[in-house]
Amino acid sequence: MTVLDESGVPDVLSPLYSLNGLAEKLPDVLLILVGTRAEAYLAQTLPGMISGDISLNPHFSALVLDPEENVQQGQVASRVIEAAAGFPEVTAVLLVAGRSAELLGVDANFEVQLAERRLGLPVRAVDYDPARDGALSTDLEDGILSALVDVCPDTSPRMLELPPPAKGRSGFIGNLLGRGRSESREVRRRQVVILGASSPPGAWRELAAELDQIGIEVVGNIPGTGASGLPAVGQGMVAAVADPYLIASSRAVTERGARVLRTLMPIGVNGTARFLQDIAIAFGLKANQLNRARSVWENLEPLRNRIRGKRIFFAGDTGLELPLARFLVDAGAVVLEVGVPRLDRSFLAAEVQALGTDVDVVESPDPRGQMERIDRSQPDVVVASPGLYVPLVARGHLCRLALDFLEAGIHGYEGARRILELFVRTFERAEALDSVKL
Amino acid sequence: MRLAGGVYEGPASHGILQVAASMRGIHAVLRALPTEGYFPALFGLWAKFEEPAPVSLSPIQGRPGGLRRDVEAAVRRNPETEAVILARSDAALLSGEEIPELSLPDSPKTGREMKLIGCGWELPEMGEHEAADLALEELVRTYVAPQERSETPTVNVFGPPVFKPGAEAEFEEVARLLGMLGVGVNARVPLGTTVEDLARLPRAWANVLLYREVGDSATRFLQEEFGMPRITTPMIGSSGTGGVLRVVGELCSLAEEKVQRVVFSELARTAKLPWYARLQRPEALAGRRAVIFGDFTHAVGLGHALAREIGLEVSWAGTYLKHLEQDFLFHAEAFTDRAFVADDPEEVASRIERTRPDVVIGTYLEQRAAENTGASFLPLCPPAAAFPFVQRPLAGYSGAAVLADALDGVLRRPKVEAEPRLKETEEALPWSEEALEDLEEIPAFLRGRARRLAEERARELGAAEITREILEEARF
Repeated sequence: MTVLDESGVPDVLSPLYSLNGLAEKLPDVLLILVGTRAEAYLAQTLPGMISGDISLNPHFSALVLDPEENVQQGQVASRVIEAAAGFPEVTAVLLVAGRSAELLGVDANFEVQLAERRLGLPVRAVDYDPARDGALSTDLEDGILSALVDVCPDTSPRMLELPPPAKGRSGFIGNLLGRGRSESREVRRRQVVILGASSPPGAWRELAAELDQIGIEVVGNIPGTGASGLPAVGQGMVAAVADPYLIASSRAVTERGARVLRTLMPIGVNGTARFLQDIAIAFGLKANQLNRARSVWENLEPLRNRIRGKRIFFAGDTGLELPLARFLVDAGAVVLEVGVPRLDRSFLAAEVQALGTDVDVVESPDPRGQMERIDRSQPDVVVASPGLYVPLVARGHLCRLALDFLEAGIHGYEGARRILELFVRTFERAEALDSVKL
Repeated sequence: MRLAGGVYEGPASHGILQVAASMRGIHAVLRALPTEGYFPALFGLWAKFEEPAPVSLSPIQGRPGGLRRDVEAAVRRNPETEAVILARSDAALLSGEEIPELSLPDSPKTGREMKLIGCGWELPEMGEHEAADLALEELVRTYVAPQERSETPTVNVFGPPVFKPGAEAEFEEVARLLGMLGVGVNARVPLGTTVEDLARLPRAWANVLLYREVGDSATRFLQEEFGMPRITTPMIGSSGTGGVLRVVGELCSLAEEKVQRVVFSELARTAKLPWYARLQRPEALAGRRAVIFGDFTHAVGLGHALAREIGLEVSWAGTYLKHLEQDFLFHAEAFTDRAFVADDPEEVASRIERTRPDVVIGTYLEQRAAENTGASFLPLCPPAAAFPFVQRPLAGYSGAAVLADALDGVLRRPKVEAEPRLKETEEALPWSEEALEDLEEIPAFLRGRARRLAEERARELGAAEITREILEEARF
């Protein structure tokens, strides 16, 4: 594998763009953006124009600062309290304050402490640094998850020894896993927390069921379904990261004293197998996923036949590119280039290693340069960043938006199938359209 | 500081980028954080062009001298470039960074000196429309050169920039009508304009201003500097269009009868709006109320057409554009009793809920409120949440027919009584003074929800009046 740092300005949508969607995923959390009108515009108005979806979640609002006005300490907190008062169902408030808020004199940490004292609810500032080099469109998701980690109840090793309360916090997944299993103490202690936001709930349930098969209980997902269902995080806990961009949140879990596993992302067949296996090893279990993986690969054979030898180009946007490319190479596709707006070599060491030697990774790609390379190499399909999508389609390239993979549910063995299906649908549609004489 | 459920106007940089992306041979460099990118994605949806947006992002942080290098790189990468315009995001403006002195290489295309348009007037609190207006003025000032007037009458058409659905068609419709008068289009601005076009602006006999949000300052400048008259009536509806054509006729010394012939033939053939108005039974319009909210040109133009040409009651009209407040109130007086300026879409939404009109004409930000109250919604003011493939003008006589179709579509629907029984009880429930005071203290964007919850709760309790206690109870 060669990594080329192009030092371009990556073609990503502002992370603020996804705030409204995140509010959708966290029904009991009030998200408040503190910033300039420009930032409110990025988060509230542009998404409607770009996606055509005009609905704004009421649990997301913006506190617009006037650059002329001096912000007094406590002012932001008062507005947060006002806003929270309208929503009895809210159990936590997250304040997203970017660099402009800081420049305009907002001390986010002070404001959240004040608001928390007065509201009696957890209020956290989301660490969102838009000045970070090589930003991903998913960065804010990482910041929000790490703020939620801070809201998670604490745990002590002693608590783990005790039987869990009759009505645990684990909710649906706990009930699912509790059914029909021997209630031995040993089993209960093999508990893992999964960090991951990029798939819909169904994919996480499937992954929990796989872990259940090997005797490990998923006590919770972060973010799961919001603040009230968060698992306890602390000493003695094992956590596994399922999304490659969750760097800050995995650090937050480590800081709470939990152990974060370094393994492959549960994306693709081999990735999922390694993920499950490494969790098992962490609990001293032997769980060989070889047979399971082999049978999944066999089941996927018809889909694999459709993408074998296809040449795929990742322009880079969400941060999911590395594991997706790794899986597609395993499945027999040819990956021409993996563009990644940012590459954290130590966090993604396992992924980088697993990618194999034949794939070129381009860090901070320059979108114009990528267009030229795409025109030259004529890939069968481009997983396009938002700004390249339309121009590439206009030039006759077959494209899929990187964001589509965030909705598909790409995690676990079933997720592997969904990834292949997504590509196969793309090819089938292109063939169907090409067959029409115009 | 205010809590907002949405914002209408984008930042100043958004306006500058819109003007730059509208024109040809102009490359915009956006000085911003790498996370402030969105323009290429939006531009692709609107333009569906083969080429990506002529915009490069120059990241603020890190490398010293970065801006100079990024401008040079942008010019190298885009050999068609004849001018570079600099837009700075809020983050860039707030950082207090200076605009560097840059000498650019000669344009590889024309060999002429390439200019950097600095937009030094940009301020963090400025909205996109004001910035677009000033950017266009700066471009015109930079490139305009004294010219002989064209031999036959011509005009410049100042219309909407990119992202206005149907912008292209708008220019074409106006050019078609002017052609019928025998008046040529010297330049259309800013869509598709080159720097040569800007230099040749004073050849025209007059400036027709279709979209004053963006062309106001530039045409004022041309008026003061070159004595070029300008026509500012919104060219919306048959009456507005006819008005503009008559003034063009006067300014271009055309025979009055000739103009009248064109107007009559177009009224007979193209502009279906007066026909539509005359076909309607008076009963069909009785009690039908419309509200209009959005930018300046469309709110004023459509307000006139609806109230005067169709005879619909316009309960109120408003604009988001604070800096055009005076003018708006002056013009809106002619077609509605209530005109106002608001900058929070939630405030507009709660007005819609109170008024419960039959038709809401607005930007996509008003759509949800319209649907919630059962009103018909026409997204005729930019911005829109859809960029249709078929470009249809709203200006000119063809635009009047488009408007007639749109209105027919919604007025043909039987008058919807939105949950009639509920509505009566809702209106019948009085509020105590104290409860009203408390309600006023709730931020505007939550007020509608709080009011509904309280009224619901009061009905549950069978209370005769909404008291402070019921309001409190309903909210928690």
